[in-house]
Amino acid sequence: MDCREFCDKHVAFVDDTLAGIELVRMQRHIAECESCAKHDAKVRRALLIFRNLPSIELSAGFSQRLEARLRRECQSEDLFANTQRNLRRGAIAATLASAAMLGYIATTLYESDSPRDLVMPPVVASLPEPELTPITTSTPAIVASVSAGLTIWPAALFAEQVPTRFAHSKLELANYTR
Amino acid sequence: MADIVRKQMVAVEGATVRERLQAMDDSAVVTAFLGGEERAFSELVTRYQTRLLNFVYRTIGDREKAEDLVQEVFIRVYRHLHRFDRSKKFSTWVYTIASNLAKNELRNRSRNPLVLFQTVQKNFQDEDRPLQFEDPNSRPDDMYRKRHLREIVEESVAKLPEHHRNVFILRELEGKSYEEIAEITDCNLGTVKSRLNRARNSFAEIIAPYVD
Repeated sequence: MDCREFCDKHVAFVDDTLAGIELVRMQRHIAECESCAKHDAKVRRALLIFRNLPSIELSAGFSQRLEARLRRECQSEDLFANTQRNLRRGAIAATLASAAMLGYIATTLYESDSPRDLVMPPVVASLPEPELTPITTSTPAIVASVSAGLTIWPAALFAEQVPTRFAHSKLELANYTR
Repeated sequence: MADIVRKQMVAVEGATVRERLQAMDDSAVVTAFLGGEERAFSELVTRYQTRLLNFVYRTIGDREKAEDLVQEVFIRVYRHLHRFDRSKKFSTWVYTIASNLAKNELRNRSRNPLVLFQTVQKNFQDEDRPLQFEDPNSRPDDMYRKRHLREIVEESVAKLPEHHRNVFILRELEGKSYEEIAEITDCNLGTVKSRLNRARNSFAEIIAPYVD
């Protein structure tokens, strides 16, 4: 066995978990190698000191504090259970209400599907009033001709013959006399 | 008169239950608690409180904080015990919770140097560290040497890297098997052995000048 193998197996050697043959080989190596023997002694001594470290004890109020915290935990657990219960009740109520609503909607829809006479309001017909659309003339000079092939009349004469509904048009008599 | 008899009977019954719980293994105590026996939880606390305190204290090095964390461990156990896989060892589960909390605490400290500073300062002010473990009949120089040695050991452990220290404490202080340590620290067996080897060697190197 070389020192490297010894170091690799040292954990198991210290913990006494090596198989018989391996254990003998390790012991033989220690007997032969001073450096590994020193290392082994150093580790074992250090571990002995650590394992004999005095135990830490709990402070006086530890149990009371833990009890208080556990009690609080229980209370919050109860509160949580109550909330859960209330939520469950609420959920049941909501489900029932939804079911009732759905039933109502379904019934309404079913009834509306059946054929029925329509009652419509009476229709009253009335004659619409004639619309008076004013004919606008931009200038009196435009109406100075007629498309019937007649001779052109003076605009002033035509203006005299227009119906009264054109009265609002701004026509001016032309004065051809000087 | 009837009241007294009833109280005595309840007391006797309580004592019997406690004795019965004490005789049970962890798994049976857990089953009793889940079956509605509230006193079973006290039994679990009694079994683990000191061991957990030592484990957490050696890992984080702050006594007060260690107590807080141990309380937190029990609160979590109480809260989640119904989810515990009873085919596994209860102690491994408890140590896993404690180990994770201790790890978080160390991580928080490294992120927040102020917390570390406060902790260190508190420890320096805390001159009334427990001396009851030391023999009061010892000579003053012996007591000093013992206290000094204890401080050196604690400091040496604190110098180990976190993941080495965790494995080291679980093995050397709590006597956990490699398999249990692997489960608690969420590592494979090879890693556990390698870390343990390194931690032992480092610790031996650090402490050697003081004990030679």
